[in-house]
Amino acid sequence: MSVWNETNSVAEHCWKHGNPGFPVFDMHGHMGPHYAIYFKRGEAADMVAHLKKAGVAKLAFTHHYALWEPSYRNANVCEICKEFPENLRFYVGINPHYPEIIKEDLAQFDKWRPYVLGIKMLAGYHKVNVTDKSYEYALKFADERGLPVLNHTWGGRGHYNDGPSMLKLVEKYHNAKFFHGHSIFGDYEYAERVVKESAGNSYLELTAVPGENGMIEKFCELVGSEKLIFGTDLPWFDEFQAIGGVVSAKISDEAKRNILHDNVERILGKEW
Amino acid sequence: MEDLFFFDSNCSIGMPMNGGNYAADAAALLSEMDYSGVEKALVRYINTDIAIPYSNAMVAELLKGDTQDRLTGVWTILPSQCHELPEPDEFFGSFKENRIGAITLYPVEHRYVPCRLTLGKLLDAAAERKVPVLLNGFAGKWSELYNFMKEFPELTCIYVERCGKWGSDRNIRPLLENYSGFHFETAGYWVPEGIADLANEYGAERILYGSNFPQYNHGNGMLQLKYSGLSAEKVALIAGKNLENLLKGAQL
Ligand SMILES: [Zn+2]
Ligand SMILES: [Zn+2]
Repeated sequence: MSVWNETNSVAEHCWKHGNPGFPVFDMHGHMGPHYAIYFKRGEAADMVAHLKKAGVAKLAFTHHYALWEPSYRNANVCEICKEFPENLRFYVGINPHYPEIIKEDLAQFDKWRPYVLGIKMLAGYHKVNVTDKSYEYALKFADERGLPVLNHTWGGRGHYNDGPSMLKLVEKYHNAKFFHGHSIFGDYEYAERVVKESAGNSYLELTAVPGENGMIEKFCELVGSEKLIFGTDLPWFDEFQAIGGVVSAKISDEAKRNILHDNVERILGKEW
Repeated sequence: MEDLFFFDSNCSIGMPMNGGNYAADAAALLSEMDYSGVEKALVRYINTDIAIPYSNAMVAELLKGDTQDRLTGVWTILPSQCHELPEPDEFFGSFKENRIGAITLYPVEHRYVPCRLTLGKLLDAAAERKVPVLLNGFAGKWSELYNFMKEFPELTCIYVERCGKWGSDRNIRPLLENYSGFHFETAGYWVPEGIADLANEYGAERILYGSNFPQYNHGNGMLQLKYSGLSAEKVALIAGKNLENLLKGAQL
């Protein structure tokens, strides 16, 4: 008997019905074209259609242009979310090279509720370390309000969003909810430390992890499934692939539920 | 799976030089496949890139541990001029008794130019016999792969290379369009509903399920394929029947 036909399991439900039997929250997405890849399904309507097929109730995303193209403003993204109020939420893309834009955008944060959730930093691409003072205004803003802060992180040392830099952030801010995008991929030592040495406000976000053999199992061992958040980088990665990677991992059904749904509900509540 | 036959086209066995995940022998690999419901696998030796020619003997040896006939092996080729492998007739003639069904090459690691001068004799013989050639050793060097395909347009081949996780449609599609023997394996191709797009554009018989085990697990791609949006018949082709047909089609 395989993982897919264990009676009444999350994996069995996925295999039979294409969804785990409860709503999934995807906390790391994007939208729009990206220079490095061909996307057939990179716009809101196609993305939402894909989410619905896989039983993903909500996607929290940052538009590619809100990160890569400074003239494209986060206000546009809010308008896109309004077209899909049940399914889409966004992070304000923070570009450290444009402090005035950061202030202007965050001044509209309350007006953008409930579509806006928090902020997103992409230090490795903006080439400014996450600890740099150019992020301080946005980080303080998020910390005062207890908002999610999604960072693009990666393993290896000595770069803009490496483990040691992420650790400094969580040591400094105790109230914002840090989602470490890609779980500091490959750096297990710091993936563990950023969670365990935080004030309890630090989570590993799994984009690019599901499917990697044994990696989710290892994270469950190191920090516990209560500290893991599901994400896909949609439209980069397929929801079924990523959900498939979680539910076919050798972890308990409780852990699978934590990752796909429960943890986010504990952080953000039932209405968001 | 009882309801879907999976034949993994991208799978490795043995102990990697630098540790990490592995299935050391047939029993370990089969137990992993059972966990996910994968029936059969086309298996390379995990250190083929660095342990040639030992790796060819080793994969044949490890397959002896599979008493259920679920595993088929892959052997690696080298330029013929150094006489590191037998002549083509003898080489391919020994495939059946060793349960080998396909070949692969690692021109980057093994440091040669993959062209007619080096591989012509062996690859013409492979094309003639319709022996599938796995393309997994080009280390992301697309222009070298393109040159290779130009030199050997008649090959039956399966692209199984993982170079990062970003969908490579801009590079893959021209190959699918221009070489009818070029097949694409799905591990690490995580493009949303992309499997269906490729199958609809180039034919479901050109796409093959693969896991890239042991780096990836088997399950993620299985769910992705099952819910790709393709018909059950096309899903079944990609899951296992295409690879079975390719291996059966080889004259060995
Ligand atoms: Zn990222
Ligand atoms: Zn991302």
